[in-house]
This record gives sequence, C-alpha cells and structure tokens, in this order.
Amino acid sequence: MTDRGWVRSAQDGDEEAFAQLVRRHSGGLHRAVARILADDAEAWDVVQMAFLKAWQRLDRYDSRYSFSTWLYRIGTNLAIDLLRSRSSRERTHKAHTEHHLRLVGTGEGAGSSTDRAEADRILNQIVGVLTPQQRSAFVLREMQGLDTAEVAEVLGCSATTVRNHIFQARKALRREVRARFPEYLPASERR
Amino acid sequence: MDCNMFRELLSSYLDESLDEDRWRSFRRHLRECASCRKYALSEDPSLLFAAAPEPVVLQADVEACAAAVTAGIRRQRLARRLQRRRRPWLAAAAAIMIVIAGGLFWKVTLGGDGGSSAPGIEASVEGNVEMAPPTVEVEMAGEEVRIYQFAAEDDSGTAVYFIVNPAMEL
Repeated sequence: MTDRGWVRSAQDGDEEAFAQLVRRHSGGLHRAVARILADDAEAWDVVQMAFLKAWQRLDRYDSRYSFSTWLYRIGTNLAIDLLRSRSSRERTHKAHTEHHLRLVGTGEGAGSSTDRAEADRILNQIVGVLTPQQRSAFVLREMQGLDTAEVAEVLGCSATTVRNHIFQARKALRREVRARFPEYLPASERR
Repeated sequence: MDCNMFRELLSSYLDESLDEDRWRSFRRHLRECASCRKYALSEDPSLLFAAAPEPVVLQADVEACAAAVTAGIRRQRLARRLQRRRRPWLAAAAAIMIVIAGGLFWKVTLGGDGGSSAPGIEASVEGNVEMAPPTVEVEMAGEEVRIYQFAAEDDSGTAVYFIVNPAMEL
C-alpha cells in the first residue's frame, strides 16, 4: 500500500496503519536526525516524538504533499529546537573529548561502512560550527540526498536559501576539516 | 558518468549548480570510483560527507520505534478518555463549591453566628427587620429529624431549609 493509503487509514484511527508508516520512514528520519544532532540515541527519542506529533496532527496533513516531507519537517524542527536548547559549552566539551582519528575515505574500500562511521564521527566533532539551519540543510541535501526543493519544503524556506545554507556550511566544514584533520589534505599541502 | 566528466563537474557540484539528475550521477560516481574520490577529497575535504554511504538502520530498532509510538498513541487515547470521564466530577466539584460559597455568603450577610457575620446582624437590627418565622415544619416519621423551611411570602422562588434532629435541640 502507498503512504497515502496508510495515512487515510490512520486518519480514521487505525493504529496499525500508522505503525506501518513508522516502519517505512523511521530509519530515514533517524539517519537525518542523528546527523543533525550528532547523537544516535537522542535521535530515536526525537523520531518517536515526531511520529507522535504527526499522529496528533494527522487531520491537518495536506495529502498534496509527500508524507515523508511532512514528517521530515516535523522531525527536523524538533531537532533544531533541541539543538537550540543545548548549551554550546556541552557541545564543545563533547567535541574535545571525542577527538581521535584515522585516515580513511581514500582507499580502494572507500564507500564502506567504515568510511560512513568515520564521516559521521568527523561531522559530529565539527558540526558545532554550523547554525542549526545550515546543519539541517547540509545533512538533508549532502548526506541524505534529498532534492533541493524537498529540503526547502522541509525547512520552510526557498531553494535559494537552501543553496546558500549549503554553500556556507561547506565553506565552514572545509575550513574545519583542513584545520583539525590534516590527514585529508593532499600530501603537498600537509606540513 | 566517466572520470573525465566527474572531474569537469566537480566545481559545479560544489556550487550547487548541477541539475538533479547530474547531481545524483556525480554522487554515485563519487562513491563508486576510488581514484575520483581521492581526487575530489583532495580538492575539497567537505566532500567526505557526500562520499559516505547511507548508514544501515537495524530492523530491531525500527520495530522498537514502532512499538514505542503505538504505545504512545494508546497512552494519549487513554489520557483523553480519562479526561472526558473527569469532567462530570469537575462539574460536581464546582457545584459543591458554589453551594459552599453561597452558604458562606448567606451566613455573612443574613445573620450567621460567625464572627464575620456582625455587619449582617447590625444591619437587620438597625432596620428593625425580624427574621420571618418558619412557614413549614415537617416531622419525618421514622427518620427522627424535623425539617424547617424559611421563605418569604412574596418570594416563592427562594427558600432555606434546616434539617434538625429534635434529640439535639436545647
């Protein structure tokens, strides 16, 4: 059954239909939220909250839009709220205590789960330099692979704003990676 | 997409100026071709994040999430039902409060025995207004109580009742 069918049943009060939507979308939403928050366990809490909020607001869901976009919007907003409520001191402390690295991502086996874990670990350490909006736009577009238009809908802004967020995020991340992870520089640029 | 095309499109990818199809082809090549990935990362290390494959989410985590959400929905429904049931109790509590407040008001303004009732007593004395005698007195056979009804003759809508146990009368 399509999302639209499950949503219609859920709107009639069918809990099992809604559980099917949870099974279909919780993995993707968790990947995005975990990268935005840089916290895997907390991301599951946010995912659950997002689905419960979606259930409460099902009557307001506009079926002209994709259910996943609507859900990502709820989840991303919750994640952004959580980021704003965290103290910057806590984030800085976490970044310093987790600073340990390996050089990966350039070998024959690149694109493996090891690279993914490494990319996530590096992102977790430097993502604090981004604003919540930049972080969300970068994760949804660059890491989750959503269309620019979809990211704009999720974040409630224009496609131009999304491109600008990603441009600024890339600039900041490039600077941070070069400063803190010289392993990723070409040999000629390493000191 | 071949390696030459990939390298040509690198700056367009970084500028966010590729159309969606080319953008996806570029990312696919970035993940699949080790030499192009190495080249791309040396050009811009922020591409590390695009090169990383999607993390795998465990089915057990997904099922746990679905179970938690379903339990949350049931809790919400139960809470709503309990809230609905609580409403008659709230109405009854409100009615009791109104009766108590009315009784206190009557006591204060029309001559109760409490200390704060003095103004009410003074007013009735100064105005030489005597309390109306009980208009009805009913013995409740078998109940061992007597009921007095006080009411003004010209106001049939208002009455005050006292239930008295004669055994306790002075």
